[in-house]
Amino acid sequence: MTIRRGATAASATTPPPPRRALRALLRDSELSRGRLALSIINGSAALGSAVGLSAIAAWLIARAAGMPSPADLALAAVVVRFFGIGRGLFRYLERLSSHETALRGVVSLRARVYDRLASSPADTVVGLRRGDVLARIGGDVDAVGDAVVRAIIPLSVAVVVSGLSIGILGFLDPRAGAVLAVAILVAGLGAALLTWRSARIAAIQGVAADARVADAVLSGLEGAAEHRVWGTTGEARDALAAANAASEQAHEAQARPAALAAAVQALASGGALIACLAIAVTGVNAGLYGATTAAMIALVPLAAFEAVGAVPTATQQLFRSREAARRIVAMAPESPAPQSPASESPASRGPRDSAGAPSPTSSQGHYAVTLTDLSVGWPSATPTRPVTAHVDAGGVLAIVGRSGIGKTTLLATLAGIVAPVAGAARIGAADAHRDLLGPVVGMTAEDAHVFGTTVLENLRVARGSVTADEARDALAAVGLAAWLDALPDGLDTPLGTGGDSVSGGERRRLLLARVLLTPQPVVLIDEPAEHLDTAGRHALGAVLGRLRGEGRTVVLVTHHLQLSDLADVTVSLDD
Amino acid sequence: MRPLDPRLIRRIGPARRYIVTTAVLGFATALAILVQALLISRALAPVLAPSPLTEDGLGWLGVLVPVEARNLAVALGWLGVVVTVRVVLTWTQERLAHRAGSRVISELRAQVVSHAAALGPRWAASGEGAGVATTVTRGLDSLLPYFVRYLPQLLLSATVTPIMIVVVLGLDWISAAIVIGTLPLVPIFMVLVGLTTQERSAKHLDAMQRLASRTLDLIAGLPTLRALGREHGPSARVRELGDAQRRATMGSLRIAFLSGMVLELLTTLAVALVAVTLGFRLVAGGVTIETALAVLILAPEVYLPLRMVGTHFHASADGMAAADAAFDVLERPVASPGGTAAAPTLAGATLVVEDLAVSTPDGRRLAPGRLSFSARPGTVTALVGPNGDGKSTALAAVMGLLSPDSGFVAALTPEGRVDAYDVEAAGWSEQFAWAPQRPDLGPEGRTLSLGQRQGVALERALSAGRPVVVLDEPTSHLDRASRDAVISRITAAAATGATVIVATHEEDLIAVADVVVEVTAMEVAR
Repeated sequence: MTIRRGATAASATTPPPPRRALRALLRDSELSRGRLALSIINGSAALGSAVGLSAIAAWLIARAAGMPSPADLALAAVVVRFFGIGRGLFRYLERLSSHETALRGVVSLRARVYDRLASSPADTVVGLRRGDVLARIGGDVDAVGDAVVRAIIPLSVAVVVSGLSIGILGFLDPRAGAVLAVAILVAGLGAALLTWRSARIAAIQGVAADARVADAVLSGLEGAAEHRVWGTTGEARDALAAANAASEQAHEAQARPAALAAAVQALASGGALIACLAIAVTGVNAGLYGATTAAMIALVPLAAFEAVGAVPTATQQLFRSREAARRIVAMAPESPAPQSPASESPASRGPRDSAGAPSPTSSQGHYAVTLTDLSVGWPSATPTRPVTAHVDAGGVLAIVGRSGIGKTTLLATLAGIVAPVAGAARIGAADAHRDLLGPVVGMTAEDAHVFGTTVLENLRVARGSVTADEARDALAAVGLAAWLDALPDGLDTPLGTGGDSVSGGERRRLLLARVLLTPQPVVLIDEPAEHLDTAGRHALGAVLGRLRGEGRTVVLVTHHLQLSDLADVTVSLDD
Repeated sequence: MRPLDPRLIRRIGPARRYIVTTAVLGFATALAILVQALLISRALAPVLAPSPLTEDGLGWLGVLVPVEARNLAVALGWLGVVVTVRVVLTWTQERLAHRAGSRVISELRAQVVSHAAALGPRWAASGEGAGVATTVTRGLDSLLPYFVRYLPQLLLSATVTPIMIVVVLGLDWISAAIVIGTLPLVPIFMVLVGLTTQERSAKHLDAMQRLASRTLDLIAGLPTLRALGREHGPSARVRELGDAQRRATMGSLRIAFLSGMVLELLTTLAVALVAVTLGFRLVAGGVTIETALAVLILAPEVYLPLRMVGTHFHASADGMAAADAAFDVLERPVASPGGTAAAPTLAGATLVVEDLAVSTPDGRRLAPGRLSFSARPGTVTALVGPNGDGKSTALAAVMGLLSPDSGFVAALTPEGRVDAYDVEAAGWSEQFAWAPQRPDLGPEGRTLSLGQRQGVALERALSAGRPVVVLDEPTSHLDRASRDAVISRITAAAATGATVIVATHEEDLIAVADVVVEVTAMEVAR
């Protein structure tokens, strides 16, 4: 077993460098090359129309000034109108195709990330204790998709359209082409570098300042009543003012390069304008070309910088997406440890998805739980004192102790999420291992999730085959019969996302009903440490009684010594 | 949502100053753009004209850029100055925008937090109060793009656009007629497109948000599923939900992007029409090349700010919504309990609570419902009862932090009975030493765990020497030994003459209490 645990540690891949993280995720999002190319073509056609409009309009005016026959202008007039319509039309098509491309990518990526998280070692998933860390993944996946719409496509369009403008001018007069190329490079690369710098400052200073502001805001809001009683309202206000000042300073630091980027773009486009005007006028005077060419050389630079104007926003987005990709890869590593084959451990032969399992317990055998001189702790924490205990199948083992001493860690050790520091934890004949979590061991954490779906579906989280009758019976057992009757659609009543519409006590009892319906022969329950009310206590008593009757083994972490009366064996982690 | 909230101007000083400076800078920018266009047409006209120019094509605008600018060297020199001015203006505007944006955010944040704190715990517990923290942090942060990108363009469309129209009118009234004729079409078409699509896109938006939150819900519940061995079930569901979300999103985008297309189409087409018309009139000799060039260069500038307003609208919508929410909080009147009379000293006074009832935020229950008890100095009073039935709320009412829907809190002093809500609130509240369930202890306290914070708060309450000690679940995070120590300190505090009121489930603490009061909620008759 220790060998396999070592393999687990080795399989925790280190995240690749950030640049490759974004690239790897974009590859995972199965972006269609065809769609991407179409978006870039449409985008280039839109901005190209603007450049074309300015070039042909300049030609038209210059030609007309020579007072030719109106028929000579007819074609140019049509082309100018075409470009006038083209810009809006192609822009619309580009926005549709780029969003479609990105959204398809986001859907693939989201499913891919979910799969990765689901198949990653249990310690990765269950160890991520806070739901909001996982919820942030949703935003991060969207940010990777935004890289397509707001960075990759606009930057590609900028390259194509700038190339086009440089090509036109270069064809008319190589000197003008060279001037425009230099100016566009300065405007594009200069702005990109400066914006990148600004984004880095924002990521370093800004994030710290934001955290400080958030703390001060929460203190000012949630602690308002307390500040009133203790007369510290002024101090709270000062703390917020200081945090605000720090945040302004961070903004100031990131605004400096951003403003410089805008100035560089204005300077480059202005410089190109002056130079091209000089080239055009001197070119005509030297007899190099005629009036129409000169007009185009002088006026195209007015429209040519719109494409590189998108560079700062695109750079910022690229930075944001890169950070998001880095977080995703760190949380859901690319090559998850392969699921160990079922044959490795006799216990894992149990059905993973027990839909249709005839009875929750009878087919799955009985498991005793034994702790032998077991000391537990997360890698950096002080380990608990060694404890020894044994509970037979069908018994209840209570683990008590003060807050923070490691009760929940002990439960995590039994679930195979944390390796023991010393001693052994055995489930039946085998050492506790993460492969047992699911087939043999089921755990309900203190902060277990209530899904934004119906009451019945929330209970089916325990087992896919739960019937309406079973659900009603389980709810009645935890004292929620009256609550269920009061719901508008009974078992089919949706609960808010995250179970918002359920009170704390009701939520707790709903989770206990879920425990009753789980199929695993070993049940780990982490009772919340604080504020268990009478109804909650009764519900827990009833659940323990039922589990005992079904011959299932329960390990219960509790804070309430009264509850340990319900246990066959009680272990205290207190010294 | 209004593009510029008048409350922002009225209430926030930095916002007012920024708007004025930006308007001035916008005017300067308009002038620079104008001079640049006139300089280019001056310099270019002689080489495009078939015969030497005789008349001044710029008319009265020649005051700005004299005829000498037809000389290339003169024009280039002037252009150099104009470009420098534009670079400086751009840089200044950008710097000011960031600075003003973060100043306004700070100011608004400080005002809202301070006002929300004054609104009291009942408002904080209501649905509206719950969102304030998000509004003033992430919400207000999105005001920055509004200040940096959207607002300057909005002001430019109020300065540059009219100035350019007047100039084009001065140069060539037929081109001006085309511009003036198409300009009103922009808002008209956008409103029309908006009206016909509003309902559909609202429906799509709703579907989108629902689908997104359900996907996130599945991901957020992954640890729970994994702990029960059920993690692989929803995998296909994630993809299904995602595809449904994509279809809903594309449906709404197809409509949302229409208004953008109308805007681009009208503005670019108008410029093209101006160019074509100028071309044919040049052939007919109806307009000079110098005029034609100036109009051709200026026509797109009329529309540019409008187009930019459209581009930046969506990025700043979140910020405007947050500002809206922030002002809604600020406009809520503060109904703080308390009067003006000086608070009596509570040392030695008996606190009397009569028929106290406070309705829950949803208004369905009274928690506590008709609570009566009295707490004498030198005794421990324990409030017991199920969670959510109003023990903490009763404590807050006793401390004068919220006004109940019915009932009284009073002090029986040697001078007679004084009602808590007739006296100055701070003077009353500050005689209590309170250890709440989730103590705050300021920003530094946030680095401590909840258990540690409770320990610090308990210590502060028991050693403050205030006349009344109020403890909310004081033993919930303690082991047996520390719990016994806290209980003996509580009885010791009472022994020194303090009035002690605790809310608790702890049997050992209830056992030492002199008075035990059952707190129960009542259903509101419907």
